[in-house]
This record gives sequence, C-alpha cells and structure tokens, in this order.
Amino acid sequence: MAYITGPDVVKYACTCGLLKPITHLYFCRYCTQIRCSFCVCHEIDSNFCGKCSENIPSSEARLKKNRCGNCYVCPSCQQDLSTRIASKGSANPEEAKSTPKKMYYLLCQFCRWSSRDVGIPDQSTVTGGWPKRENVHANRLQELVDSYKAIILASKKHQQDKEKKKRVKCLSYTDRTGVTAAAIRKRLGLPADMTHPMLKNRPKNPEPAKAKSEVEDLPDSIFTEPLNLAEIMSIEQRLLQPEQQPTTVDKLFPVHKQLSIKRSLRCRSCEHNVSKPEYNPNSVKFKIQLFAYYIIPEIRIVTVEPLRSGKTSELIVKFTNPTQHQTTITFFELDLDEVESVVTEEVAEVAESFEQSLYLQEKQQLSLPSLGSLSQPSSLLASRTPSITVKPRRIKEDLNCKIGIPESSFILLPRDDAAEYDDSGDSHNIQDDPKLVKWRKSNKAFIRLYVTPNEDLPLNSEVTCGFVMQHIYTNTITSKVENKEPQQYNHKVKVFLTLGNSVGCD
Amino acid sequence: MPIYESLSSDKLSVVLDIGAAYTKFGFTGEFSPRSIITSEVLCSKTKKLRRIWDYESAEDLYDLLVDFIHVIFFKYALLSPKDKPVIIVESLLCPTTFRETLAKVLFYHYEMSMMFILPSHLVCLASLAIDSAMVVDVGYKEAVVIPICYSFPVVKAWQALPLGGEAIHNNLRTLLSSSNTGIQDLPESTLENIKVRCCFVTKKYRADQLGSAKPEIATCPDVKYPIGGAEHMTVTGKVRERAFELLYEEDNDHLCLSTMILDALLQVDRDLRQKLMGNIVLIGGSVMVPGFKARLKEELEMQLKNNRYSKLNISTIAFHSLPCKENYAAFLGGALYGATELLNMKSLTRETYFKENRLPDWINFKENVHCA
Ligand SMILES: [Zn+2]
Ligand SMILES: [Zn+2]
Ligand SMILES: [Zn+2]
Ligand SMILES: [Zn+2]
Repeated sequence: MAYITGPDVVKYACTCGLLKPITHLYFCRYCTQIRCSFCVCHEIDSNFCGKCSENIPSSEARLKKNRCGNCYVCPSCQQDLSTRIASKGSANPEEAKSTPKKMYYLLCQFCRWSSRDVGIPDQSTVTGGWPKRENVHANRLQELVDSYKAIILASKKHQQDKEKKKRVKCLSYTDRTGVTAAAIRKRLGLPADMTHPMLKNRPKNPEPAKAKSEVEDLPDSIFTEPLNLAEIMSIEQRLLQPEQQPTTVDKLFPVHKQLSIKRSLRCRSCEHNVSKPEYNPNSVKFKIQLFAYYIIPEIRIVTVEPLRSGKTSELIVKFTNPTQHQTTITFFELDLDEVESVVTEEVAEVAESFEQSLYLQEKQQLSLPSLGSLSQPSSLLASRTPSITVKPRRIKEDLNCKIGIPESSFILLPRDDAAEYDDSGDSHNIQDDPKLVKWRKSNKAFIRLYVTPNEDLPLNSEVTCGFVMQHIYTNTITSKVENKEPQQYNHKVKVFLTLGNSVGCD
Repeated sequence: MPIYESLSSDKLSVVLDIGAAYTKFGFTGEFSPRSIITSEVLCSKTKKLRRIWDYESAEDLYDLLVDFIHVIFFKYALLSPKDKPVIIVESLLCPTTFRETLAKVLFYHYEMSMMFILPSHLVCLASLAIDSAMVVDVGYKEAVVIPICYSFPVVKAWQALPLGGEAIHNNLRTLLSSSNTGIQDLPESTLENIKVRCCFVTKKYRADQLGSAKPEIATCPDVKYPIGGAEHMTVTGKVRERAFELLYEEDNDHLCLSTMILDALLQVDRDLRQKLMGNIVLIGGSVMVPGFKARLKEELEMQLKNNRYSKLNISTIAFHSLPCKENYAAFLGGALYGATELLNMKSLTRETYFKENRLPDWINFKENVHCA
C-alpha cells in the first residue's frame, strides 16, 4: 500500500504535461494517450446520500437543494445525527401496551447534541417533519425578484420594439407612397402588430428600503455579565447554516445531509468515457475503467547505489506487464523540449474501421439495460458540444542526473494469474541481454540501469532522472468486434524517477 | 409551488463570490448561499491548505482555481460545469490577474458557456431596491468604500485601507500575547473564533478610557478560553473591547475607517453628498460584530465636526439594514441579478471570449449593467 499513499518516486508524464504516479492516470484506448483527472472532463453521473445510500435523481436532488430529505447532520459537530426512539413512559403499563405510541428525536452520538436541546418537539414518524427555519425576509426578496424580472423583461421588449421600428423606418418609401406599415404587414403576410397594451406599460419599481438614523446600541449587559462560552457558536458552526448563521446555541437546528455524487470522466479529445461508475451507490465497481495501471507497464525502483555527483551508480528497476499481451520495452533519451510527446504509429491506416467499431461500442453501451441510460439519455450525448482541448504544458521537472539509455530492448511476458501457483520454475526461453536484464519471473523483469548525477550537484539534494519508455499497446476493441487480429501500437511514455538524495564521497 | 419550482429549477445557475477568506456559493433566485466555505485548497504537493488569494503567479493561480472550482461544482453544487452559465460577483478593485485567470479557468478548463461578472458594491443594493448609497465593504484583506450614485459606481472616489479581518486577527494576536505569556503562535482559525465569540466593538467613550493610562471604568468580564484540549488562556475584558480598535486608530496619514468614508464623500458631487450619507450600506463579514454600526456612527459624527470635513455640511447619518447577513450581501445581489434576463443579455459568452481573448474592462462594462 505504501507505494500508493507514500511519496511518488516514480512518475509518468500525462499527455497534458502533469506528472503523476501511474495509479492516478487513465489511458484512453481510442486516442491511445494517457489522460489524468486534470485533463479529462468530469461529469456528474448520479446523486446519492452517503448515510442512507439512496440514489436520488438529479431533478429531485435539485429540488431538495442537494440534500437528503431524511438524513441530518449535527449542527454542532457536523457528524450524522441518529434518530432515537423516545420511550414515552406511561404510568399504566397496560395502557402502554395497547397504544404503543413511539416518538422520535434526533441525537448526535459524538457530541450529544439533541433536537430536544433547542426545544424541537419529538416527532411521531421516523422521517419526521422536522421544522425548518423560514427566512423572515423571503417575502420581500421574492417580491424584488419578481419585479426585477418584469422590469428587465419589459426593457428587453422595449429595445426589441425600438429595433423593429428602426427596421420599418428603413422602408421609407412607405411615407412617399402613402402605404402604411400596417398595410405592408398585411401584404407581406405578417400578422398585425398586436403587442398587448399591458406589456407596453413599464412595470412598477419596487418600494426602496428606508435607511434609519437610529442604530442598535450595544446592550449594557455586555459590559457586566460574564460570557458563557459554551452558549456561543464558533464561526464554523455559524457558517454551516449560511442563511441564519446562529450565534447562540439555542438557535441551532438539524441540518439536512449534503448529497454525494458519482462521477464519470470523459476524454476531451474523443468524447469517450475513461471512467464510469456503476449506478448503484453501494457498488464500488465501474462500468468503464480505462486505468493506465491496467495497460501501461508499471515501474518500481528496487535498489539504487549511493548517489554521488559525477559518479555512476547502478540502479535496479522492476517492470511489470499488467496486460494479457506480450510487450517489448525500449528505452529512449528524454527530451523535455519536444512538444509532440506521444507518438502513436500505425493509427492512420486503421482509423476508419476503428472509428466504426467505436461507434458500435458506444451503441452497445447505450443499449445495455442498465440504469445508466436513465441518468444520461442518449439524446444528451448527442447534444453535447465537443470539448475544447487545452494545449499541453511544458513538463516542469528539473533533471539533475543522466541515465544511460540501453541500446537493446527486452520482452515482458503477459500476465498470467495462474503463474503465482506454479512452482515448476521459469520455463521461458527468452534470449535476454544479460547486461540489461538481471532477473525475470513471469510478467516481471528486473532491469539494470546506470545513472550519473550531474557534476555540479550540491550535497544532499534530491536526484531526479528521466527516460522515455516505449511499450507495445495491444488494442483489443477492434478484434473483439470484428474478429480481427488485435492492433498493436508503439506507445511512448515519459517516466521520471526520484532516486533519493545525493551523498558525499567517502 | 412545487410545479413552479420544478419548471424554474432548470434555470438555476451558480453564483460565486470568491472572497479573500470565504467563498459564498449558491444559485440564482435563492436568498442565501448554499454554502460559505474557506477560499482555500489542499495543495497536492505539500498536503497543506493554501489560500487562493496567496497565489504566486498567474500560472499558480490557474492551478489553485482549477482545484477550487472543482470542489465547488463537484462537492457543493453537484452540477457538471460544462456549457453552463456562471455569475461571478467581484470587487471593482479586483486585480486584473485574478479576473483574467478566473475567466481562463472557467472558459478553457471548465468550458462554461457564459460568465456574468457583477461588481459587488453595486449589486448588494439590489436587495434594498435603492440606487444610491455609500457602500462600505469590510472584508478580510481590506475595507473598500465606493459610493454608488444612481446605479453608477463612482469608482474615482474609491478608498481602500488594509483594515479587515486579517488586521483584526493580527491585532488580537498582539493583544493576547502581551496578556498571556507563552502564547504566541495561535493559528488564525483560533484567533478568528476568539474574535467572533468574545470580542465586540465598544463605545467610543469606553474606548478612549481604556486607551488612557488610568481608565476610570471597569472593563467587561474576562473570558477563560480553551486552547487545544485541556489548556486555557485568558481573554481579558480589555482585549475583548480593544480588538477592533485599530479600525479607528488613525495611521500616519490620519486615515482610518471613518475618514475613508468621508474622503470618498469629498470626491462626490456636492448635491449627492447628503443623499449618500443618508444611505450607508455596510457589507462584508467584519461588519457583523456587535456594536459595529453604532460605533461607526459615533466616529462619523465626531469626524464631521473636524475642520477637515466640516465643509461637507452633513446633517444626518442613516444606515440601511440588509434583509440578509452582511457577509453574503454581495452574493445575494448576484443571485437577484442572475435570476433576471440580464444573465442572457449581458453575459460574456465563451464565443466572444475566445474571439477577444480577454475580458471587457469594468469601464465599458459598467455602462451596460444598470437595472432597477
Ligand atoms: Zn493530464
Ligand atoms: Zn439520506
Ligand atoms: Zn454533534
Ligand atoms: Zn480519447
């Protein structure tokens, strides 16, 4: 787990120019390019409540202001509130049996805040019609909104009318010929000007607020009464309820729980999803998951000799092939000034058939009887305006160490889940360059590289080197659809290794 | 009502007021923000919170804003930003770098369809339905005074001083460390809570007394304030009353909050002066403290007797009470403006932005936006 949460010592360059560990990257199969959360388009797939795990359609979520109707959080500490049954103690046990009247109240298990603290009466249903705070200014503000809307609409109308009149004026021959505008309208087959007289009247301006000379003075008690800190809310507690911003503890009301979302990620160049979750809030699975981790060989640093400026050290890195296809790894020199970083070969010739198959794929996805089509109808997909692609940035990384680029390449065998249980030893017969490949087992290979930190590198500074790794990406989409041989592409990735700090000579 | 709401809900657009300390986020046509959150993002490299306004360069700000807008849309608004309009409420004194970078992020990165930029000093008057006022915005970084006359911000009369939450927190830190030994590096969040929970703006005669060597009055009671679990520190009555005093301590140029307002007034046409002083509107989180308005009135009255301002000839000073909390007054204005057709009429569209590749200046823009 440490390599997921720990410092990112091996970073891959995304097409957009950001460096990220492989676990944070996606690989768009359709563009054969790396993508990351920064350069894809995020979309909201579904809304759900994190407490009751209920899916809430987006229209309903909007109506409920993105909050769950049934779940509440504590206004004091923001933890989930739980509903408690109040045993309505009756003096007569028989009576209690005959009319089991349960009452409910809300309690915070963490800070012990309860709805009874603020005098909210217990409710007779579980979901409870917990009272809401009304905005005392709502009427006045609604009045303002309505009249502003009307004023703007009227002025817009007025402007349009003026423009219309101007246009009519252009036909100045009407004056000379004595033909009226109305007659022309008739002749042209336009309906007569029937603006409603109501709309011609300007709507009334709202009543302006009055300023007051008398201002509220500080109460005299503030100078003499001791302050009870426990009754005064902190800024975080106040801002949790933005409308009221309660200053004292008696004004705290339970707050509806904010909904959570599931997101799908879409490649901005080809509009295909690189990640799409399952609709069910309880599911952590994906319908589409084009994670780079499943496609691009993973690199891990195994050992590195102490790094000294100007001295060559041996570096052992492990390559793992995550795919079901054999791949060949070739190294290239890294050039940060090169703009067109990812070179995909053989793309052009298959482009047409490829696109067709994509179309089929997309159609298949949509026709799946899953609920996904509910949340994102096909008409929505069609009406999407194409995304704009942002120019990739220059990679910001200071390389202070040279790496010897091996001339020979090596093969990585496909992943074989059964190999783990196979004790019969390595049965591969691969002719490896013994200088390059130190050891190999199933889909992994340990590779020996040589690194030389720069001469002028000060002591104890972080050493970073980089290279370009080319691997063969086997595209299986086409073959699945058309029963063709899988297409293979050479895909290049820029890889950056942080090797640790330089030490002095001894 | 539900039918009406479901019909109109399609038109809900996001309104954003990105303040120096807090960002107010909500939707058009609603009367309060959905959330008020700190204007900070978690830095992926250092794993520390970074304030958006502490940006080092335009590129740095771009990345900060990308992260911040992402949080707003995917954690709070729960709305895909692509092809949606957005209403931005910002100060007339907002730095060009910030405005340009924000537009770049919204149009290029999030592909939003329209951006409706509204000046905070002007739109906060929408909830009062008035068109002329002396608008005093005391925020986190600074206090900014801009008079609004007949829906036109008189920008040439603007006054700004670094008198806001930040200065108050620093003042409080100094006061606390002198009365409590060993307490120096209190985090700002603690200082802010001490400020809102214990401190207030005291009356002028008390402030004068407390400032003198031998006060003849008793201070308000001390407060034992818990610090990090078991420990306590004492917030003395004197500290509680003096935390806000720096607003009225004149600096080397004899400037303070009250003189700012009157200096702005001097820049305005003679006939409008009394109208403006009869319509003072206070906005910004820092004005919400108890006693703020009363003390400002006292200070203004005192300054008006001064030679410097006697020619202003002001007879009455009157304040408006907003139909909302002052810290989201500008947001509310944006939400009211954004609910009208103006959104479609006056917005900067993505197409125009790509063509011009820059934002229109406030000067041109102001001509276009005045309603009511
Ligand atoms: Zn990227
Ligand atoms: Zn729920
Ligand atoms: Zn609680
Ligand atoms: Zn793509």
